[in-house]
Amino acid sequence: MSESKAEKSPVEDLIARIKDKDDKVRAEAWLNAGKIGAPAVKPLAAVMSDEDFEIARAAKRGLWQIVRYVGRPGADNERKAVVAELVPLLRDGQPVGVRREVMWMASEIGGDESVEPVAALLSNAELREDARMVLQRLPGEKSLAALRRGLEAVPQEFKFNIAESLRARGVKVAGFPSQKLAPTRKTNVKATE
Amino acid sequence: MSQHRKINRRQFLTTVGAAIGAPYIIPSDVLGSQERPSANGRLTIALIGSGGRGRGLLQEIRKSQIAKQVELVAVCDVDESRLADAAKWESRWARREVIPYLDYRYILERKDVDAVVIATPDHWHGVQTVHSAQCGKHIYVEKPACCTIEEGKAMVAAVKSNKIACQVGSQGRSQPEAYIAHRYLVNGNVGHIDRVWCFHYNSPSDDNPVPDSDPPPGLDWDMWLGPLRWRLYNQRYLHGIFRWMLESGGGQIRDRGAHVMSCAMWWMGADGTGPVTVEATGTSPTKGLWDSAVTMHVTYTFKNPDWVIIWDQETGNAPTAEERKDDEDPIVRPGYGAVYHGTKGTFTHWGGDGGTWAERKAREWAPPAGAKDVYKSPGHWEDWFECIKTGRKPIMNIEAAVGVANLCILGNLSFMLGRKLQWDQAKQEIVADEQARRLMSRPQRHPYLL
Repeated sequence: MSESKAEKSPVEDLIARIKDKDDKVRAEAWLNAGKIGAPAVKPLAAVMSDEDFEIARAAKRGLWQIVRYVGRPGADNERKAVVAELVPLLRDGQPVGVRREVMWMASEIGGDESVEPVAALLSNAELREDARMVLQRLPGEKSLAALRRGLEAVPQEFKFNIAESLRARGVKVAGFPSQKLAPTRKTNVKATE
Repeated sequence: MSQHRKINRRQFLTTVGAAIGAPYIIPSDVLGSQERPSANGRLTIALIGSGGRGRGLLQEIRKSQIAKQVELVAVCDVDESRLADAAKWESRWARREVIPYLDYRYILERKDVDAVVIATPDHWHGVQTVHSAQCGKHIYVEKPACCTIEEGKAMVAAVKSNKIACQVGSQGRSQPEAYIAHRYLVNGNVGHIDRVWCFHYNSPSDDNPVPDSDPPPGLDWDMWLGPLRWRLYNQRYLHGIFRWMLESGGGQIRDRGAHVMSCAMWWMGADGTGPVTVEATGTSPTKGLWDSAVTMHVTYTFKNPDWVIIWDQETGNAPTAEERKDDEDPIVRPGYGAVYHGTKGTFTHWGGDGGTWAERKAREWAPPAGAKDVYKSPGHWEDWFECIKTGRKPIMNIEAAVGVANLCILGNLSFMLGRKLQWDQAKQEIVADEQARRLMSRPQRHPYLL
């Protein structure tokens, strides 16, 4: 082993291998990212926007491995540490694709600490639908309250979406009837030419 | 377009019954309170999803039209090139207009449509089945029934409360040699069975990854995604290859597992039961978009009675297919099937879907006097038609199909999470694992909601 490789931290080594040109090296890296945990969250998120889409994908998968690993029963401290690293990635300044993916990660392992950063994205036209879905999944009164507040605050056309999430959480919502059976897409295709 | 004689549901069922040549009683709750008009005394149907498997089902629909059991009045697809093909060819074949729709909800609005055939990608099955049931349509939906545990619950509830007949397309149960296998096993020919080893070859990996891009003209990408969360289009999502994505197709275990494990649950008399634990291991693709397991080994442990299902997905593990004589139905898909291990021996079948081949000893077994018999399906479609008439449950009814799909879902969840899961069959939920419990459902994109 070379001296420089020996000096690399586990996170540096992970990122180097995630950026490797060989897909087998990358896969070996992301598959084993879980145990590295919280320290690898931000470095991996940074690589999720790599211009090589396969390297970006490897970083994303590494981050998911961490989320799935720390979500195991009995690993609450590891889980909280990872969530603490994920939450800042929801804020402005991060690419939309990263924020969208991180929201869904939070939906699996996040708790009350994730609610406000996700709820803030209800005001973001690109991300509000994902934010609504994630709030629907996050358990507890805080996420329910965020959905209720969202119903008041979002633009009229998006209130139907929030109303459905509230109904899915067992809340009776007046108005904003379900749109699910209302057809909207016409076609110009004819039965005969 | 032909002038349709306006008759009510009772009248067309009489006509269909005559075509099938079977006696029947029609309970009023099957007919429902609505007396809806129907076309030419036949069951009026529409196909939702006209490419891939839908194209194969169109052949079944044509046979049923020749038998004067059904009349196809509409086709639907979110890819207009596929839609145009289906509408053109079916209209030409039927010599009348088969109306094309891009949005299946227009079909559900039609009062003259009695039944729908759903052959869309798997992530649409739950939503479209629930919506169709809520609109009072009888349903033939392709397997696997559902992609999440909660979807399955909603499907069962919708079918039950709307009193419609729903057949799920695990048609292995209806194959002639499936009947032979079932009868052979329930008569104790291999003794008490405590292990069913399902074998299957690998899922493919995406060896030609491409970057995201604009969707092709004519494809409504938003409608293709439907309830899935938004993402950019990528060529490697469709068509057909959605199967290799965990969230949409679920890999071989949900594609063919919904066939092979369907046979196992039926033959073992295990519909309505479930495992207590599920433990999966496997290998992931090293590159590309697809994320379903390439190789996969899952153990499902059942209690009271005690037995296991093993899902062994690894190329090369299949037993050699038996040789068949020239006058016997050849085994054309030997790469998957199952071996039943009993106290008195083993029994093997190959396939498990539209092709199901039973080992010779079962085919040559002559039932002695007093032997138990089992239900012999008249064919998967015909079984569905009979259920529409009689109100009995189809051979692959929604409860059974959801039970099988849940096995596939739990196997994938265990693989994704890298840990053993505990399942409470009575409550239909994962226990003692908060993350896994959250993954029993998947919030859906508006307005494509259950």
